[in-house]
Amino acid sequence: MELISPLIIMNNTSSLYVNFLRLNGRRYLILAGLSIALLASLWLDLIAGPAGLSAGQILSGLLDPETLELRYRIILWDVRLPDALIALAVGGALGLSGIETQTVLDNPLASPFTLGISSAAVLGASFAIIVEPVIPFVPSYAILPTLALCGALASSAIVLVVVRVSKGSRGMVVLFGIAMFFLCDALASGFHLIADADAAQQIVFWAIGNLTKAGWLEVTIVSLCLLLIFPFSMRQVWVLTLLRGGEDHARSTGVNIAGLRTWVIVRASILAAFAVCFVGTIGFVGLVGPHIARMLLGEDHRTLLPGSILCGALILSLASALSKTLIPGVIVPVGILTAVVGVPMFLSLLFKKKGQF
Amino acid sequence: MVLKVSDVSAFYGKKQILKDISFPEIPQGSLVGLLGPNASGKSTLMRCISGEKKCQGTIEFKGQNINETSQKLWYDVVATMPQTPPSPTALTPTELMWSTARSLALPLSDKDLARKIETIFDNLGLRSFELSPLQSLSGGKRQLVGLALALIRDPELLLLDEPTAALDLQWRMIVLDWVKKRVEETQTIAVAALHDLDMAARFCNILVLINEGEIVAVGPPEEVLTTGNIAHVYHVETELGLSQRGNLQIDVIGPIASRG
Repeated sequence: MELISPLIIMNNTSSLYVNFLRLNGRRYLILAGLSIALLASLWLDLIAGPAGLSAGQILSGLLDPETLELRYRIILWDVRLPDALIALAVGGALGLSGIETQTVLDNPLASPFTLGISSAAVLGASFAIIVEPVIPFVPSYAILPTLALCGALASSAIVLVVVRVSKGSRGMVVLFGIAMFFLCDALASGFHLIADADAAQQIVFWAIGNLTKAGWLEVTIVSLCLLLIFPFSMRQVWVLTLLRGGEDHARSTGVNIAGLRTWVIVRASILAAFAVCFVGTIGFVGLVGPHIARMLLGEDHRTLLPGSILCGALILSLASALSKTLIPGVIVPVGILTAVVGVPMFLSLLFKKKGQF
Repeated sequence: MVLKVSDVSAFYGKKQILKDISFPEIPQGSLVGLLGPNASGKSTLMRCISGEKKCQGTIEFKGQNINETSQKLWYDVVATMPQTPPSPTALTPTELMWSTARSLALPLSDKDLARKIETIFDNLGLRSFELSPLQSLSGGKRQLVGLALALIRDPELLLLDEPTAALDLQWRMIVLDWVKKRVEETQTIAVAALHDLDMAARFCNILVLINEGEIVAVGPPEEVLTTGNIAHVYHVETELGLSQRGNLQIDVIGPIASRG
């Protein structure tokens, strides 16, 4: 106790400030590390694939597309790049959606999926595949994502009504989300019963989740969605952080908790709905990405929100690279691999932290 | 700078919790003890004063009526330490203090804020835990963090809902003694809902005893804590005496059979 550093007294800077800055600095370093890992995984994802493009060809093709012959240019720019980028956008969107939902519902199992959003999207997609409806002004290839999006947004709207009616009670929201999940699941199963084998397989394929159908339009929509919503999330980092200290404390600080829950669920639903509607239900990223970020970065949402985006994107990007290399010549649906990549990452951190997080 | 409470009534649904609560103006520099059995309306009255719950009647502080003041202005001068301590998460006390200060938009530079947090932590013996996860702290330490959070705003009216429930004897004394000194030095007001009558008698200048949503007695401890009042409110028979040091001592003899 007597050993107060003379330097600190001279600077008249509190040691708490120095320690706090050091902690924050360490976290920004971790964010930088995650970004580098993400770039590396993007590169792995780009060079993975059956076309026999060399790393050198890809690099020069990215810098100057004219150097590649047309066939390769199409593979790189119209297949690999959008697939690799949608992995980042969807992973990031699910990561942000998941972390905000977990914080605001104070539930480590909360994710866009426990709100029933993904199963509603599956329901919409199943309807599109089996009934093959015609919607005016919507081209046929866009009908499936449109209906999946409608399903997801409709279920979010119902969840929001529940938030309002229950005055923001988190228990109600979680229970209702789970009820929605089972309801949508049951209805979707009904569609599967009447589906022929081909349609049934299509539904299963969609429900597992895969990135290979994405093009630049999808990449743009999901990225824009993430970029537009992220600043709104960052504006509430202080309130989200203090909410981790408990609801009573937040309320005594004058935080309108029901209002906060509403806004967060609106944001999280939009993110999850757009992320899921193009690529299917890529489970797990929205649940585990945030937990990995929490274990690496702690609870300060200034670094936790960007960290969760990076972790979500990293898991999905690694899974995407793995999906093309695991079995030569076969693309394993990425939805299977997110769990394969995510669980070891998650477990190793969990054991390292001895279950404390 | 006084606190006025008159004709305050509050409801949960149709059930009336507070019935026309009034007490004399509380002068600055007072530590007020709010006493009463469970479900007597203590916490509800605290919530009405803090602005968390809407109520009928008049609550005024520094001449400002709660119903005519914006929430922001009211929360700038009035701070509550809730009964539940901060949740045991991986959040650290410093992060919680920092995010609370920033959510409240306190006009402090980062350096000044750090110095302020440091001073509060020093006073409450929390310095060695400043960057420990809350989940590694005992319930008592977390309750002290709860007090620290209320103090970050330099409140002129500090509301403490059972501030000592999770604390051991030593910290109970330290906290109440410290709150009393702070109130006297800064000439502010603190209102604490308390269960411990001995502690209330020892540290508070004014006691407010309520039962079933109504005021039973208001005044200095020796006037409020009479065997009659205690029997009426808590249904126990007591003998009052003075310790060798001159502190009021309440010797509980036993429960009184219900008088129907």
